[in-house]
Amino acid sequence: MAMDISFVVNGKRVNIYGNPTARLLDALRDYCGLTGVKEGCGEGECGACSVLVDGKLVNSCIYPIAKVEGKEVLTIEGFRGTEKYEVLKESFEAAGAVQCGFCSPGMLMAAESLLRENPKPDEVQVREAISGNLCRCTGYNTIVEAVLDASIRGEGLW
Amino acid sequence: MVEAYKPNDLKEALELLAFNDCTIFAGGTDLMVKRKRWSGLVPSFEKPVMFISQLQELREVTEDNGMLTIGAACTLSELIDNELIPEHFKTVFRQMASPGIRNIATIGGNICNASPAGESLPLLYALDAEVVLQSSCRKVELPIAEFVQGVGKTLLKSGEMVTAIKVPKSSFTSITYRKVGTRKSTALSKLSFIGLAASDEEGLQDVRLAFGAVAPTVVRSRDAEEDIIDMLKLGSLDISQIIDDYSTLIKPISDQRSTALYRKKACIRLLVDFIINSLAREVVR
Amino acid sequence: MRDSISKPITRVDAADKLSGAACYIGDMRLEDMLYAKTLRAAEPRAKLISIEYPELPEGYFVVDKRDVPGENRVKMLIDDQPFFAEEVVNYIGEPIALIVGKDKEVINKLLEDIKVEYERLQPILCIDNITAPPIYGENDSFADYSLNKGDLQKARAGAAYVYEGIYETGYQEQFYMEPQGVIAEFKEGKVSIYGSIQCPYYVKNAVVSCLGSAPEDVRIVQAATGGAFGGKEDYPSLLAGQAACAAIKAGKPVCLLLDRNEDLEATTKRHPAKITLKSYIDESCRILGLEADIALDAGAYAGISGVVLQRAMFAAAGVYNIENLSIRGKAIATNKAVSGAFRGFGSPQAFFAIEMHMEHAAKAIGIDPLQYKLSNLVKQGDRSTTNGILRDKILLPEMVDRVLEMSGFTEKRKSFKTERAVGALKGIGLSMFFHGCGFTGNGEQDHIKAKVRLTKDIHDRVEILIANVEMGQGVQTTMRKIAAAAMELPIDSIIFANPDTDRVPDSGPTVASRTTVIVGKLVYDAALKLKEKWQAGAASEVEEQYKYPQGFEWDNDSFSGDAYTNYSWGVNAVEVELDPITYESTIKGVWTVFDIGNPIDDRLVRGQIDGGIVQGLGYASMEVMENLQGRFRQRTSTDYIIPTAMDIPEIKSELMCEPFKYGPYGAKGLGELTLVGAPIAYALAVENALSINIDTLPVRPEHLMEVAADGNGY
Repeated sequence: MAMDISFVVNGKRVNIYGNPTARLLDALRDYCGLTGVKEGCGEGECGACSVLVDGKLVNSCIYPIAKVEGKEVLTIEGFRGTEKYEVLKESFEAAGAVQCGFCSPGMLMAAESLLRENPKPDEVQVREAISGNLCRCTGYNTIVEAVLDASIRGEGLW
Repeated sequence: MVEAYKPNDLKEALELLAFNDCTIFAGGTDLMVKRKRWSGLVPSFEKPVMFISQLQELREVTEDNGMLTIGAACTLSELIDNELIPEHFKTVFRQMASPGIRNIATIGGNICNASPAGESLPLLYALDAEVVLQSSCRKVELPIAEFVQGVGKTLLKSGEMVTAIKVPKSSFTSITYRKVGTRKSTALSKLSFIGLAASDEEGLQDVRLAFGAVAPTVVRSRDAEEDIIDMLKLGSLDISQIIDDYSTLIKPISDQRSTALYRKKACIRLLVDFIINSLAREVVR
Repeated sequence: MRDSISKPITRVDAADKLSGAACYIGDMRLEDMLYAKTLRAAEPRAKLISIEYPELPEGYFVVDKRDVPGENRVKMLIDDQPFFAEEVVNYIGEPIALIVGKDKEVINKLLEDIKVEYERLQPILCIDNITAPPIYGENDSFADYSLNKGDLQKARAGAAYVYEGIYETGYQEQFYMEPQGVIAEFKEGKVSIYGSIQCPYYVKNAVVSCLGSAPEDVRIVQAATGGAFGGKEDYPSLLAGQAACAAIKAGKPVCLLLDRNEDLEATTKRHPAKITLKSYIDESCRILGLEADIALDAGAYAGISGVVLQRAMFAAAGVYNIENLSIRGKAIATNKAVSGAFRGFGSPQAFFAIEMHMEHAAKAIGIDPLQYKLSNLVKQGDRSTTNGILRDKILLPEMVDRVLEMSGFTEKRKSFKTERAVGALKGIGLSMFFHGCGFTGNGEQDHIKAKVRLTKDIHDRVEILIANVEMGQGVQTTMRKIAAAAMELPIDSIIFANPDTDRVPDSGPTVASRTTVIVGKLVYDAALKLKEKWQAGAASEVEEQYKYPQGFEWDNDSFSGDAYTNYSWGVNAVEVELDPITYESTIKGVWTVFDIGNPIDDRLVRGQIDGGIVQGLGYASMEVMENLQGRFRQRTSTDYIIPTAMDIPEIKSELMCEPFKYGPYGAKGLGELTLVGAPIAYALAVENALSINIDTLPVRPEHLMEVAADGNGY
């Protein structure tokens, strides 16, 4: 049975009358038009669909909309206007951490989630934090360097 | 589209359950994958769905009289961050899935999923955890080894849900946990092993050994453990006897992740290593 | 020169990709767009007796073989693969029909209600001892080649040692992060295809032939492409043809996107290989001759297997100067998903075989493997496997020295031996390899004949018009750099949009490590031409076409001459530590030196190196894909495992540079080379750690447990 589900996406209230087991991923991409959230596997393995729900990193492909009722969702589209995003973006560019780009939005959300909890991570912590976000192009090391670099250059932001 | 419920409290949830045969949905990290369809389509559920992760009663961790009670809808991340949760629990939880999934997946879900590869299970078996089952009219506690019946099978009855896991707090002097996964993160286990031992001035007091993903349910044998304790106390350790005992219990299969032979050999080798390098040391403490 | 062009600049596509603004095929929404889902074969080999479709609601369509207006064959080297199955199906997952319509829910239901009746035929599921009737030709091979050089009899006669080994490698799935997909649109008699693709003109030729239409009535536009690695070389042609037929039938745009698990099951993968090598070695440990037999599991249709096989054969002797060769190769048809292109294209299999073979032969003779390899290395002026002259200086000895130094190889070999005595299973391995850049044999000069165009508008902006695609490797940045540097213009005065075949000439596919070295050189030459006739404020245009460099020669019938015009080289070392109880491995370090000529952008080069190495390490260690009875066992992203950030150590890389005079700024090929050596170095490291011989990839702990665990019952 359809439910009224109300939540906030990137600062804006969204009301969906829909199937509560629908995937948050589809709601974001199809209903909200937020196509920066990618689908790479549809089963929680690749992290391309990563978003933050109430500040926590989740795989939106296995997250039903019933569970976002009353919560705040942050996608790359909401994050990209922030100063923290700018710092991460510059670090990713400088490290060469972007190739095909399909994992990039999810990867940034994983990085943001880490830095919120731990503004000064070490290399192992960065690897751990992005370990649910697969990347087939970069081999990860440039991404790890980028996140470490952002944590230094963005000191005080997180 | 099936019926969906999102009760506000446990009482409401149990009342709903009493009259509706529901699929209970906690984190959903397994359910959403199993029920997944074509991208863009709503995952299919045949029975009404009841969401429970919002139930505050199921999200608490308490300690009382040496008994740790963990709400069934606590996520793995919450448990990792919780001060009451002992470090050896966290070691297990930290190796499960990925950060994003640990933020969603619940311990109750991992138990009720009853997968042979359920990674919280060997720990809970080894600790003699009890599963708290509640319905609108009763509340029972079952040892986890009784609750889990087979692959995907539990004693959960219609009208009931798992509300908590109770684990007697005990301290161990040796703790070994090994998950042998397909890779170092976001991996399912090929097999897992937990070995716990407790000793005091008088010597070795307790041994607990459990193996995951190598039989339809977690392999643990109190008899075999007691034999080991006796052997060690008497100074007559017979490794080949222990291997024989466990070899009959460990019955892995070959599948897309590993082979039966590997699983079995790795388990036995982990067991022997634990006995030689951890237990033997406990004895000479 | 190296300083200016090699100095990294910010990737032009990074900002859009990071911000989520880049538009991949799944992000495109055309008005009135319909969705399509594929009915796939459930049997590995069967006659299609009947297909019973449910009644279709209005606006829903079945699209199958009857809806192909032109040839129901995907245009490739051998046109044997149907867009939609006809009388038989040849692999599980083979497309039979599309169900097309507006509502995915309805499409799904219709698909569930289709009844397909099969008559099972005996499938061919392995590449030896084939007893079932052939799938293709008389001997079930899509290609069956021989290559001879010198006189093997002489080698046999002079041999003091003969060493033989069999080496096997498994499937590897590209696992680009973005699954495959296309959208087809039919408007005013013209079909437009938007897609995640590597080769716009392959797709165009396939769609033209599928529709039987005029070339000007088919247009292909590349969408942002989320990785490809060879996987989007030929398969998109199939999807595009299907979607085009559907769009014409429905009269509306049709979106055909694969879900991940569908992609895993149905699209092309790296060829599994079985390679037998026999070397003839004289008293002084010089290799006199080599016999090689290469069998590739090609899957159900020919695809590009013949060319993969050629590359494997031409690499069979590795980096060694062997005067007498007899190499036999077969691409065998089996009832499995079609094997196709994947970074390296036959060479990872061949190099694995020869490098392990060299190592094992040396051990058998009782000499140091590294010395044995070094004493047999090819050098400038030597002949390649196909009797071509290796014209450029080969820096391998210096590269090996440097990797030895960077990795501490010699000391580690010593100290690990001591540590092994007390139970720590540590090992380090070193591999040497090359990659022939550009198409194999006569591909560039006789088949592709690449053409590029540069246009200049009245605002003096220059647009690069080529058919090569940005798929992560950075071509949008490198091409701009090359053009800008040649014309001494600022980088932002150069435009390079995703190719649209209505606008760009056919500069060939984005494959074979050819884009920078071949197409980049054409862009460079065209830029010089444009600069020469430069008139500020006036529009102009220049074209440049590939010319086979003078002095090179190739005979495709005898496989003799210069199989490639240029070679890139690599030396890799990998260190591993194995868990002494479970044989799980941890990669402790990777050290590499590559000679890729002059790098166009150091940062992009590093991206290719790191990425290739990690794919290679995945191939070597964890990427298991087995086929049982025609069905892949690992067919979900949960079960087909690629490395995560936690599986990978630091990778230390350096470059040495022997420029190629026909490459832009002396650049040579790069992309594929980087995958070739790491799997070998990994396997050799495991070998070293356990004092065993490894002859199979991937190296699974399951295998190590069987061969290395002590014999006392556990």
